[in-house]
Amino acid sequence: MSLTDPQFNALGELHHFIDLDGLDKSILTQILDTAEGFTGVNDRTIKKVPLLRGKTVANLFFENSTRTRTAFELAATRLSADILNVDLVTSSTTKGESLLDTLRVLEALQCDMFIVRHGDSGAAHFIARHVSPSINIINGGDGQHAHPTQGMLDMFTIRRHKGDFSNLCVVIIGDIRHSRVARSDISALVKLGAGEIRVVGPRTLIPAEVESLGVKIYPSIDKALIGADVIMGLRLQKERMQSATVPSSGEFYRTYGLSPERLALAKPDALIMHPGPTNRGVEIAGSVADGKQSVILEQVTYGIAVRMAIMSIIMGNATNLRRAQS
Amino acid sequence: MSISKYPLVVISHARLLDSEELHTIILKNGIVESIKPQLNSEQATVADVTTPQFIDAKGQIAVPGMCDLYARLREPGLTRKGSIASESYAALSAGFTRVLCSPDTQPAIDSVATVQLIKQRAEMAQGAQIYPIAALTVGLAGEQLSELATLQSAGCPAASQADYPLGNTNVLYSAMEYAASFSMPLFMTARDAQLGAAGCAHAGAIATRLGLPEIPVAAETVALARLLELCRETSCRLHISRVSSARALRMIDAAKQAALPVTCDVGLHHLFFTDNHLAGYDSNFHSEVPFRSTADRAALRQGVIDGVIDAICTDHAPHEHDASLAPFPSTESGLAAYRWSTPLILQLTDVLGFTLKQVFEKLSTAPKRIIDGNASSGLTVGETAEFFLLSDSPLEPVNVVLESAGTNHPLSIHSPADIGLQPLHGKVTHIFLQNRHHTI
Repeated sequence: MSLTDPQFNALGELHHFIDLDGLDKSILTQILDTAEGFTGVNDRTIKKVPLLRGKTVANLFFENSTRTRTAFELAATRLSADILNVDLVTSSTTKGESLLDTLRVLEALQCDMFIVRHGDSGAAHFIARHVSPSINIINGGDGQHAHPTQGMLDMFTIRRHKGDFSNLCVVIIGDIRHSRVARSDISALVKLGAGEIRVVGPRTLIPAEVESLGVKIYPSIDKALIGADVIMGLRLQKERMQSATVPSSGEFYRTYGLSPERLALAKPDALIMHPGPTNRGVEIAGSVADGKQSVILEQVTYGIAVRMAIMSIIMGNATNLRRAQS
Repeated sequence: MSISKYPLVVISHARLLDSEELHTIILKNGIVESIKPQLNSEQATVADVTTPQFIDAKGQIAVPGMCDLYARLREPGLTRKGSIASESYAALSAGFTRVLCSPDTQPAIDSVATVQLIKQRAEMAQGAQIYPIAALTVGLAGEQLSELATLQSAGCPAASQADYPLGNTNVLYSAMEYAASFSMPLFMTARDAQLGAAGCAHAGAIATRLGLPEIPVAAETVALARLLELCRETSCRLHISRVSSARALRMIDAAKQAALPVTCDVGLHHLFFTDNHLAGYDSNFHSEVPFRSTADRAALRQGVIDGVIDAICTDHAPHEHDASLAPFPSTESGLAAYRWSTPLILQLTDVLGFTLKQVFEKLSTAPKRIIDGNASSGLTVGETAEFFLLSDSPLEPVNVVLESAGTNHPLSIHSPADIGLQPLHGKVTHIFLQNRHHTI
């Protein structure tokens, strides 16, 4: 009924990394295991391995980003790739050039891999379907749909602390509706067999039929936090207040903010996670974000190893494909 | 397609929708002269007339010309997507002898000059007969009423706001009162001006998984409630164009029970597709009136069976190739229907459990009646000819005649089985419209 999943190549291996939805548990586990190996690289004096030497990775960010772009840049650099940052927010696309034309020009620059961030859901799928087969795509976030590398680095962080997923109770709080991070986290947690996934937020921030993703809705944060092993906050963007989705950041904090008192309802060793940037005093109290249960900065650090893992797996598959075809 | 104009046409061995018997149909100067059961001596009876055209319609069915209540011809102003010539020809090749064209052209159909331009171009094109729908408000901006009485006199059978929002209830109330003064029907699509306005997919599990901006059912029902209440207040003839949900259908049913002057139609593709078809971000399924849940589709089908839905339209929306080359939310909405409409219409017999006669009733007699109570069938003795011959043979996609400018349709890239359809069959072979005979 749908178009075939563009993520796989003719050998059935991962060719693009777009969406965790179409991937099975073994691929997710392979990424996590590979990332374990790369954490060591980041601790070395010379933080480099030659896996992507001679390859060119282009960061195509159609939306503003500092964190994700920098993390990809570092990951590519540590794999010895050349990295090209293309500022598309203020570039040709705003002059009316179509996405496809922009893509063709960048293809002509003969890069090997595109990291793409775009404001439209489905943009990474679209690009993967239209890009030259010699280029691999990694989705750096598309609209409200997916942010799969963030999803994987979140899983990596959880696994490092908790080991197994099957007995975990994970609570995701806040703007689920507009969050690509929440969708990728939910998708990964379901695949990895998390015991229970709870989503909490006002109805305005919970998308239609969200239970179909494999989660339970909790209208009350206090009830949701009881027994929680992992608590994931999400960024509440300012435009939600302008669009009548939430009355004010103050009311949001009072009803759904992760305060120290609320944190006490969760298990004593519960992890506090957030994809950043955090709004202190809106979705999370400063003391909780900085507290001993918080792994927010670890997430950022692990993001490099996880992205190195994804890039090297994809590039390895591309080499396999070229060998098979020659 | 070729056009000929013989003063006398004799069509033999044609089946009719309501009879298994073979018939001979004789046309004289564009009028149906006779429809009689096939006789062996038939040819002898017309042998004395000079230069008749004979058509052996063996294996084919004669069907009254269809009337499309909603299609976009894209001219004036949007000719990169299609033209009056290309789209009226495409419509005719698909068996539509009448087409009501949407006012969402550039400029909108809000002046007599635009109406005349469309009618002249349509006449030159010699495709389907075109009936321009008047823009309800100037420029479809939702503020000032168009000159509805003048536009009606110029030949607009109805007025519509197309897919443009009309947020101001004062304007809508006024428009309905004003149109009622001239018994001009309004063709309105129920869609709230704000709720779901930024959306591109039915609010359900699929939109949630894909992260697509949502159009809730309430975006339709809230707008519909306003339209129905104003209809009750003003007695304006209201035709709800392109119903999409089960809840909206129940409201229309209740309004009909209460004897409000309401009719409605459904888009052809809404009887086949649901939001599940969006799963691969395939922009060929990006419809302005969203494909909703499987339960909604079931209700729409039942609505056609029960008669709550009076007619089926194509909602034809051709686009240039580039309009679909973007991520799903940024693509232009709409499906170019005509190239594939014949085989889809024939599949309605299975989908609805209808006879062919019942299916075509929803596409010819019923829509004609909505715009003209006295409309003729087009295949009745003594009336102007307006019918086509339909061959039920299997259709290979490669053989489909390209008439419309648009290729934006799921069947352009999917096999029928891939998208839940039966193998395609059915093709229009001849069209008789007034004194013209088109052979495809």
